[in-house]
Amino acid sequence: MTIVVFLASLLGAMAIGVPVAFALMFCGAMLMYYMGIFNAQIVAQNMISGADTFTLLAIPFFLLAGELMNAGGLSKRIIEFALSCVGHIRGGLGLVAIVAAIIMASLSGSAVADSAALAAILIPMMRQAGYDMPRAAGLMAAGGIIAPVIPPSIALIIFGVAANVSITQLFMGGIAPGLMMAVALAVTWMWLVRRTTVATLPRQPMKVRLRASARAAWALGMPVIVIGGIRFGVVTPTEAAVIAAVYALFVGMVVYRELSFADLYAVVVRAAKTTAVVMFLVAAALVSAWLITAANIPGELSGLIEPLIDRPQLLMLVIMVVVFVVGTALDLTPTILILTPVLMPIITMAGIDPVYFGVLFVMNTAISLITPPVGVVLNVVSGISRVPLGKMVWGVAPFLAAQVVVLLLLVAFPQLVLVPLAWLR
Amino acid sequence: DFSNRTIRLSNGIAADHPVADGVRAMTECLAEKSDGAMRINAFWSSALGDDLQATQALRSGIQEAVVASPSPLVGMVPSLGVFDLPFLFADEAEADAVVDGEFGDFINQELEQVGLINLAYWENGFRNVSSSQRPITRWEDFSGTRIRVMQNNIFLDTFQNLGANPTPMAFGEIFSALETGAIDAQENPFVTIDTSKFYEVQDYVSETRHAFTPFLVMFSKRIWDTYSEDEQQALRDCAVVGRDVQRRVIREASLRSKEEIEAAGVAVNEISPEEQQRMREKSQVIYDRHRDQIGPEVIDRVQAILAELRSD
Amino acid sequence: MKIAVDIFYKLLEYLLVILMTAMVVMVFSNVVMRYFFNSGLMMSDELSRFCFVWVTFIGAVVTFRENAHLGIETLVQRFGRTGRLVCMAMTQLLVMFCAAIFFWGTWQQSDINASMRAPVSGLSMIWVYGIGYFTGGMIFIISALRLLNILLGRVTDAEIAAFANEYDDELIGERAQ
Ligand code: NA
Ligand code: NA
Repeated sequence: MTIVVFLASLLGAMAIGVPVAFALMFCGAMLMYYMGIFNAQIVAQNMISGADTFTLLAIPFFLLAGELMNAGGLSKRIIEFALSCVGHIRGGLGLVAIVAAIIMASLSGSAVADSAALAAILIPMMRQAGYDMPRAAGLMAAGGIIAPVIPPSIALIIFGVAANVSITQLFMGGIAPGLMMAVALAVTWMWLVRRTTVATLPRQPMKVRLRASARAAWALGMPVIVIGGIRFGVVTPTEAAVIAAVYALFVGMVVYRELSFADLYAVVVRAAKTTAVVMFLVAAALVSAWLITAANIPGELSGLIEPLIDRPQLLMLVIMVVVFVVGTALDLTPTILILTPVLMPIITMAGIDPVYFGVLFVMNTAISLITPPVGVVLNVVSGISRVPLGKMVWGVAPFLAAQVVVLLLLVAFPQLVLVPLAWLR
Repeated sequence: DFSNRTIRLSNGIAADHPVADGVRAMTECLAEKSDGAMRINAFWSSALGDDLQATQALRSGIQEAVVASPSPLVGMVPSLGVFDLPFLFADEAEADAVVDGEFGDFINQELEQVGLINLAYWENGFRNVSSSQRPITRWEDFSGTRIRVMQNNIFLDTFQNLGANPTPMAFGEIFSALETGAIDAQENPFVTIDTSKFYEVQDYVSETRHAFTPFLVMFSKRIWDTYSEDEQQALRDCAVVGRDVQRRVIREASLRSKEEIEAAGVAVNEISPEEQQRMREKSQVIYDRHRDQIGPEVIDRVQAILAELRSD
Repeated sequence: MKIAVDIFYKLLEYLLVILMTAMVVMVFSNVVMRYFFNSGLMMSDELSRFCFVWVTFIGAVVTFRENAHLGIETLVQRFGRTGRLVCMAMTQLLVMFCAAIFFWGTWQQSDINASMRAPVSGLSMIWVYGIGYFTGGMIFIISALRLLNILLGRVTDAEIAAFANEYDDELIGERAQ
């Protein structure tokens, strides 16, 4: 019954257009009322102490780094680099998008920002070249959702804090699965365009490619700093994030000279506002998360799932299906924060590696960003590409299917995550 | 008379820590005394928030009970800083005598003034240093060691004073920070070093016993005041029943953990009494520097009691 | 009046920039000091966390005013003008309710936060947790004024479009850049 109250108040408020963060606060209030413990202090305390966490500081820093990279011309150079490498292949612009998506995923932590940047630059080119627009837009959306899986990742940070799992480990664990998502997209795309006659770009001479690589090299230095710095123990994730921001500032202002002081002000304001949107959502979700925990719903659910404890793989499959269903209606951040306290005790009981679970969980919620009816990335790409949402859903379908297949593969073969993780550890 | 009560008791440690044994004993005791009317619903691993957040929830009357370390709470009760002072207690017997005696009652009064009823003092234990660099045999060995400490002025100051480079860090990050070498060392009781697997990524554990951390078993005063006298008495008595079980289990567990850490190939060393004394003397300056912050009368009081204990 | 309001939000924006900059400077210089000089500012972790809380909750007001909080407009977009107005009015009521709870909860917790000091800096925690007054209060006022406009029929088409998240294409492109 608690769950009915929870869903009805949350979805009802969201349906009439209440922003998700406030819908979550409202749903928290309804839960308190239903549980007979209505107390405004629960809302105030959980919201603010949720934001008062040093580890979460990585979020504004990575967001700032991402903004600086777009404004400082780093994203542009990455796409130019990818163009010069794979632009001449059949369906090349799609491959460009995928290559750029991987690189941008290793620079930025947010799917919305990545797919928006990809779509804004590549969609006009693909339209001109005569690609099927819903497919192209679908690819941008599906490429963008690699961002939360490959480090740095805001979603992995939020999960790490909520589940008390090492963010360093989660970051390392996300690399291989993120690359697999990209491979799956590439295979699907190549199969879809196998018979198209869309014009390709001329093959670039080596000199041009080298120049494009050199221009992009500074941008490519960023993942080296972030992943290398964390992997080799030079820095913690929060420190890596602040270094990334300072590095992006340096490259944008001193190396590329595309960033003026006037731009800088606007960039910082944008990063601050995005931080506020993300963190206010985190804060609001924590109210419901606290109430759900206090109502002992995790305990009740783990009793329900008890029979599956001895079969961790089947358990993972069931959990992934549940997360996928929840993800159709709920956004990434609230899904993670509300389900983590429910799922973690079960995961611990079943002896499933928390890093492995975290990576799959976050991948699943990233996929939820492109599942209808509620898929933020679908909305953003649809807006930029001017492909109506209905057609977007159809356009993204094969890529969505490919990524679900990757997820299922990872459930069936945990080694696909654990072996590279052991190697990176 | 007893009403139906479900007490939400939260804490920051995992369900396999000896605190769980204490909570179990306390729960059974309550069930017996109240004829099943009073139940404890325990939440582990900070599921309802960290020590500070949960304690604030107690003060607001949102949550009933918490088992918390005193260290994060010095911002609301400065005298709790006394438990952060380096080398205050020499052994468990001393610590027991002080916290179970009049000094413990004195601290309880301070806690009550901010809306917290402390039912009993449980035990986290003496803290020791693990490191990947070198064993600590004398205070000079701390030189340049990047050591993780709690976000707490006295701890930061203590290790800085010993020549280390203390770094505050979230508990959840310690393991991988040690593993990758972002920090060299950390300090915690044996049981924590064992259960959090820190020994897997460390080469040395030195029994510095530089601080003794009790656990406070606290109840929300706002909620407490709505309970009957019988219920209050049952809670107090059962917290003490739980305490005796918890202390016995954690002391056994501590020895077992030490053995397991050694069995894993980690070099465990004790500090010679002379060097222990030198560390103690080196750290005396911390007592002076934080005297006003903790409260001069608090430090004087505990030192008078300890002097009396030691003279017997 | 409008000028005063605009200046107020401009000041909030400056404040956000100052807080973000302070966070970067504090955490970055701490990293540098730790690795090159083997020392660090003890206060920087704590103060940067507080800046973070302020950015979050001051920014929440600024972004609420700009309708920038994520929402699901799929259903609302299907309605005509009247339907949208009804949804908009109900949304304001619901947001006012949430903001009021946030404000009220902050008020009830004032004592326990005022009587607690941050462990390292010694700052009274009401400076951190008191932000609930600002955020709760401001969001309540903004949505109350919106509701008033709806009831008085003074709401513009642009505001309705913003509520339904229907910007013109130019704007979407700009937001994505
Ligand atoms: Na990423
Ligand atoms: Na979805």
